Amino acid sequence: MRSLLLAVLAAIPIAGLAQPTPYAGKTVTIIVGYKAGGGYDATARLLARHLPKHIPGKPTVIVQNMPGANSMIAANHVYNVAKPDGLTIGTFNRNLPVAQLTRVDGVKYDMTKFAWIGSAASECTILALRTDLPYKSVDELKKAGKPLVIGATGPGANTYDFPLLLKEFLGLNLKIVTGYQSSADIMLAIERKEVDGRAGSFTSIRPFIDRKLVRPVLRARADEPGVEQLPIDEDLAPNPRAKAIMALRSAPEIVGRPYVMHPNTPPELVKVMREAFAKAIEDKALVAEATKASMELNYVGADVAVKVMKEMLSQPKDVVDEFSKYVKFGE
Amino acid sequence: MHKNASLTLSALIMVVSGYGIIAATAWPWKAALFPLVIGVPLFALAAAEALWILFGADPASEEARDFQLSIGKDTLRRTLAATGWIFAFFVAIVLLGFPIAIPLFVFLYLKLQGREGWGISIAITLGTWGVFYGLFDLLLHLPFPSGWLFEWFGSS
Amino acid sequence: MLEALLEGLVLVLQWKALAFMLLGILLGFWVGLLPGLGGATTLALMLPFVYTMQPVEAFAFLLGMHSVTATTGDITSVLFGVPGEAASAATVIDGYAMAKKGEAGRALGAALASSLVGALVGAVALAAAIPVVRPLVLTFGSPELLMLGLVGIAFIAALSSPGGRGMLRGFLAGALGLFLATIGQDPQAGVARYALGTLYLWQGLDLVPVLVGLFAIPEIIDLVVRGTSIASAAPAGKLSHGAFEGVKDTFRHFWLTIRCSLIGTFIGIMPGMGGAVAQWMAYGHATHSARNAEERRGFGQGDVRGVLGPGAANNSKEGGSLIPTIAFGVPGSTAMAILLGGFYLLGLVPGPDMLSKHLPVTFSMVWTIVIANVVTVIACFALLNKLARLTTVRGSLLIPVILVLVFIGSYTSNNHYGDLVVTLLFGAVGYLMVLAGWPRAPLVLGLVVGKIVENNLYISMARYEAAWLTRPVVLVLIAITVAVIVYPLFQARRRAAAARA
Repeated sequence: MRSLLLAVLAAIPIAGLAQPTPYAGKTVTIIVGYKAGGGYDATARLLARHLPKHIPGKPTVIVQNMPGANSMIAANHVYNVAKPDGLTIGTFNRNLPVAQLTRVDGVKYDMTKFAWIGSAASECTILALRTDLPYKSVDELKKAGKPLVIGATGPGANTYDFPLLLKEFLGLNLKIVTGYQSSADIMLAIERKEVDGRAGSFTSIRPFIDRKLVRPVLRARADEPGVEQLPIDEDLAPNPRAKAIMALRSAPEIVGRPYVMHPNTPPELVKVMREAFAKAIEDKALVAEATKASMELNYVGADVAVKVMKEMLSQPKDVVDEFSKYVKFGE
Repeated sequence: MHKNASLTLSALIMVVSGYGIIAATAWPWKAALFPLVIGVPLFALAAAEALWILFGADPASEEARDFQLSIGKDTLRRTLAATGWIFAFFVAIVLLGFPIAIPLFVFLYLKLQGREGWGISIAITLGTWGVFYGLFDLLLHLPFPSGWLFEWFGSS
Repeated sequence: MLEALLEGLVLVLQWKALAFMLLGILLGFWVGLLPGLGGATTLALMLPFVYTMQPVEAFAFLLGMHSVTATTGDITSVLFGVPGEAASAATVIDGYAMAKKGEAGRALGAALASSLVGALVGAVALAAAIPVVRPLVLTFGSPELLMLGLVGIAFIAALSSPGGRGMLRGFLAGALGLFLATIGQDPQAGVARYALGTLYLWQGLDLVPVLVGLFAIPEIIDLVVRGTSIASAAPAGKLSHGAFEGVKDTFRHFWLTIRCSLIGTFIGIMPGMGGAVAQWMAYGHATHSARNAEERRGFGQGDVRGVLGPGAANNSKEGGSLIPTIAFGVPGSTAMAILLGGFYLLGLVPGPDMLSKHLPVTFSMVWTIVIANVVTVIACFALLNKLARLTTVRGSLLIPVILVLVFIGSYTSNNHYGDLVVTLLFGAVGYLMVLAGWPRAPLVLGLVVGKIVENNLYISMARYEAAWLTRPVVLVLIAITVAVIVYPLFQARRRAAAARA
């Protein structure tokens, strides 16, 4: 009897070892909705280097670029064309739910139906002003006599949308000048005193804050280490509708670097990926590389991501209509 | 030849800019300004060129600072052949995917159009395909979709 | 400053740094040569390997690789008429024409030698500008960039054939280019302009598929029609004038080469101008050096000056575009954006520090550009005459390979079949243009400059209202624009007067 029991007990871990590792010898592809060299691409390549050791079977992980239409082409591809075999991961523009919400022509995906892995980082948008300007707080800004010139890249980008809502709902005296090629060009314009400040992701503005060129004044909802002391725009909203619209704009930033797979991917493979991502993002080697590259990764789980998506896409019609007046889908 | 080509181009540009001007009128003025400021003169210039061709005196043609197409024996037939091969390569890429289309095209071109010998055709085909595969696929992992034909048959 | 200069040199001359530089050069050679291997993509791929290196080594590698691509990109332009890099497109016009005349070796020699001169000028400018670089870049705001774009457009006049008819066609092509530049989402209202219901056109036309279609495809069709080798117009079917002749040409037209290098450096310094503009303006300027109508007509048929100008400019712009990247953290091009990523990786903060505390590192970059280019040119020289012999090979052997390069080069812009469609479409347009005698260069210039002009116009108007027109630099640039347009007309009138006399 006892020997039989021992034999059974011994067999269990052996049975576990004999479990086929679905990823052994395979290649996992991360499809990035942008060209090489941008933030989404850099994050994906960083993850691609460190994921293999956290996925059972140690597959090869490669990155492919599928740019176009602010990554809508990549999203459509992963949703419709990619095979649901767990070997294709997609990462794209965090603002894709806005495209779905505002019913942009060409949307062939549903953000709530993707098999979510999670988000590799949150990206908080902040408003930063040149340090030689006397405004240090939002109250001082509200009392500003002449308009502050804010540089932006174009509608749909956080450089444009964030200050637009601040102007409309918080009544800040901002003049938004748009058309700059990239956020780096806006920084140059700030140095030149052509514009007085800009909005943008905290990560991209941080080097300039450290260099004391600009000073942060206000932030959006998403949490990121470093922005804790700043006031949140929603908290200053004058009425619930304004607050809802601002929240709707910032919601995607919580899921700042979304990673998803085809909707029909087998759940056990999705589970493997989620665990792998969570572990990889904590991986010491990855953290060291990320810090050197001024990237800050933090894993936001799939459940939070799906919750955010569902909340965004179930807003009442009048909120969506007013939102669409201000915020369009862009970069 | 010169005049026909010039006329065709002018007509095409008039159509394109005409469409552009009409489409632009539906947009908010900031988006429409530039397309209109360029589109209207573009239409006018194209019309001017077309009129000059149709009614103007034929000048000792001002040559563009560009090369001139050769005229040899069989020009039309060869031009059509060249265009055909280029288009066929494109179709092959779309239907079969780069990895198959490339060696297929290279080999067929060398044998059929170039009438080269077997040895050299195979050698160049293998060389080209090897560099393509080794560099762009193995090393750089560039995405080359597998071709529509395979997708149609794969899904059926 | 002088000691930082020497310190920088010493940093580069260490064994490890040199070794990495050579490795970078080797990689960069192929990246520039093959259309489809974009400089920017490969840099992004190389970035991870850079993590473990010291700053000077890392930059020796990255910069070594990058500075070489501008040089070797000219090689495929000359030999096959296919631009190896977007910045090598202008070299195709006269370079490939020279190859057809059997002077491929000479063209290659000229391209390489002028590239070296350009790179050196760019590096010297980078070093010399360091004390004034910040005030210089800060003076050039959006109104000034707008004017520079307009100067660029004015060069369309220079790129057109002389005479009323020639100008009409030149401006027609230029206006078409400007119009095509409006395709895509606009940055004022977010409208997806002229997207024709596709997602592909949301971001507008990418330059490489257009260039490759416009220039390479008509040449390929022509090669099939001729049924000979590329160098079919060569006297007695033999190659003449090897690479060394090209070097001599660079010195025969030394001041032109220097001026074009300066144009390239200057455009490179201006963030947002883009790498493609410099070569066309240099080409346009090179045509100004034609002394009579006969010479003018020679451009496009294989005038070596048409190779010297762009060859110098596309290298000098590299040194120039390092300036905003290092001094302000604002990358002057996609490749620079990636290099910037490398900066942060290695703990360096672009900004005033790079020009003071870390000056030796900055100088080590200057030296890297210099040494990398010298090494490349010397290494390539041995190959040039052999490479030139490819132009005597039967066309039918080369054509399929060239077509493969064309299609891959186009496809890797966006990894989308739309790229191939664009190439085919512009191949047809290019063919018609050549048949009709229309110049193609202005179309490219319009396409490249269009967005610069539109965006900066809106910014300038929004920010300064009409006051931007009275800014000093703007006035100077207005004068230059007028000069560029009027000069060819003036020249033509003078020649007509001389002819009558």
